[in-house]
Amino acid sequence: MNDAASVVMLIVSLTLIKATPLIYAALAGVISERSGVINIGLEGMMVAGAFTAVAVSGPTGSVVLGIIAGIIAGALFGLFLGILATKFRVDQIVAGTGINLIAIGGAAFALVLVFGQPGASKEVPSLEGASWILIALAFASAAGLHGLLYYTPWGLRVRACGENPHAVAAAGLNPLRTRIIAVTIGGALAGLGGAYLSVGELNLYSDGMVAGRGFIALAAVIFGRWTPFGATGAAIFFGLFEALQFALQRSGIPNEAMQALPYIAALVALAGLTGRVRAPAADGVPY
Amino acid sequence: MNARRLLAGPLGAILLALVLMAAAMLVAGVSPVDGFAALFAGALGGPNQIAETLVQTTALLFPALGICLAFRAGLFNIGAEGQLLIGGLFAGAVGSHYAMPAIVAFFVLLLCGFVGGGLWGGIAGVMRAKFGANEIISTLMLNFVAVFFASYLVVGPLRSPLATGAETAPLPPSEWLPILIPNSRLSIALLVAIALAILLRFVFSKTVFGYDLRAAGEAPEAARRNGVNMARMNVLAMTLSGAIAGIGGATIVTGVLHRFNTQLSPGYGYTAIAVALVGDLDPLWICVAAFGFGILEAGGLAMQASAQVPKDAIRVIEGLVIVVLAARRFVATQTEKTTA
Repeated sequence: MNDAASVVMLIVSLTLIKATPLIYAALAGVISERSGVINIGLEGMMVAGAFTAVAVSGPTGSVVLGIIAGIIAGALFGLFLGILATKFRVDQIVAGTGINLIAIGGAAFALVLVFGQPGASKEVPSLEGASWILIALAFASAAGLHGLLYYTPWGLRVRACGENPHAVAAAGLNPLRTRIIAVTIGGALAGLGGAYLSVGELNLYSDGMVAGRGFIALAAVIFGRWTPFGATGAAIFFGLFEALQFALQRSGIPNEAMQALPYIAALVALAGLTGRVRAPAADGVPY
Repeated sequence: MNARRLLAGPLGAILLALVLMAAAMLVAGVSPVDGFAALFAGALGGPNQIAETLVQTTALLFPALGICLAFRAGLFNIGAEGQLLIGGLFAGAVGSHYAMPAIVAFFVLLLCGFVGGGLWGGIAGVMRAKFGANEIISTLMLNFVAVFFASYLVVGPLRSPLATGAETAPLPPSEWLPILIPNSRLSIALLVAIALAILLRFVFSKTVFGYDLRAAGEAPEAARRNGVNMARMNVLAMTLSGAIAGIGGATIVTGVLHRFNTQLSPGYGYTAIAVALVGDLDPLWICVAAFGFGILEAGGLAMQASAQVPKDAIRVIEGLVIVVLAARRFVATQTEKTTA
């Protein structure tokens, strides 16, 4: 009995650890898509956050400064995407793809310059036992984003920008500015998710450590039907499968099937096989 | 094309890439003269270097042409990476399983790539036509499913005792594509790709199908009213787009690696998006753009080895070029408005 309880505890804690970066990135996707900007660049923003956190935490010796720097790095990429997608009317997918290349290549390039070695950084001060704070903050962020989107005037404006930006403009407000702010907040959340990976769960940055989590988060946004709680639930669900991967491998289910699950789940949801799924009407449409 | 448009277009992108490259070299503490010397020596310094640059050019050209076709039909295919992989998987699985004479193998294995990539692209086309699912997201998700699907098959059901790692058994030499330059990896796949580019240009400009396809992309409502079946066009364009990328995967298997390996593409399908944009969605300009990116890909390694500039700088530059080229469309339309 004690054994079973400890196994459950282990699975629960492993699920929370694996789900946390996905939750941050999925919330980032929710706020930006609700404002009408598809964020393919989540992966790059996580990479920027993960790398910057390590690059600052190492030399300064302060993990808090590192995390703040990671958030800022993600936010800057979010701002970049926001401005490209609004002021310059760059196709959002093209801009996001570009941001991924810039961030992933830039991190690998800067890694050599900062730490003098390719592949992985040296070990840096990390949160260690205190990483539960970022796990708790992920859930708080979900609740916070829910409150922001559904119970504040600004949240209403964000959602209106994602459905009908012309109506927002007709009401005398600036939909472009709202979109830029929403995508920047999203970038900050994705950067925090990246920082959690590098200085929360681990204590270094290595190339490829984000490993497609930005894209899994996109899947979580769709599977969670573009709502903060839905996306968080989807992220936990995907985190559970990541946690169970090693256990279920022995049961004969191919590992690859488990890894492909988030993407297949998103495809199934996209095809409308799990009920009506509707993206914000102006999602991806430049204003 | 006047000087201003040329400068705002591909030429400007090349200039920008060179300036950014020089900046990256300075940041890395290397003189741009040394850096560029290493880059170009590595890419164009001799027959072997040129051959390797053309190998990279070929690998980028197929997915870029596929992306171009989808783009022209108004569909955003960011799944070329997965379509390329599945095309290669089909060719590798069939090629390593059946021994065929050269001429048969040439057609059968390229057809395998065509079918594999076409199926993978077609899934996204059907999802869009039947369920209205956004093809951007579905092709992106299918890229990851492709990787896991392929690695499951090669380490599982298709596992060969001759294989080491995540790959199929080697193809018999009779199935290898003929080599163009002796002692290099450059095969006749390059000629197939260029022929395909010419064919696509012809289809776009001289056939009814090409006209309908471009109409579906540029003025979908008008195309629909003129009797173009949009659902059918979506499926067809995504299938053909994937099929072209799939042929590219097959040529990497039959021409370069001589087996299927899950690591067969270091992201050709993503870089190809930049190639298609730099080539202005024109098949012949895409050939030129692919050569330019081929120089970067092949020269990047040499630059890293002899001038100590991390090759990842190339990724950053590709990303910036994509963003700038997409932004200049806006600038170009603004200029047209003000000068009109």
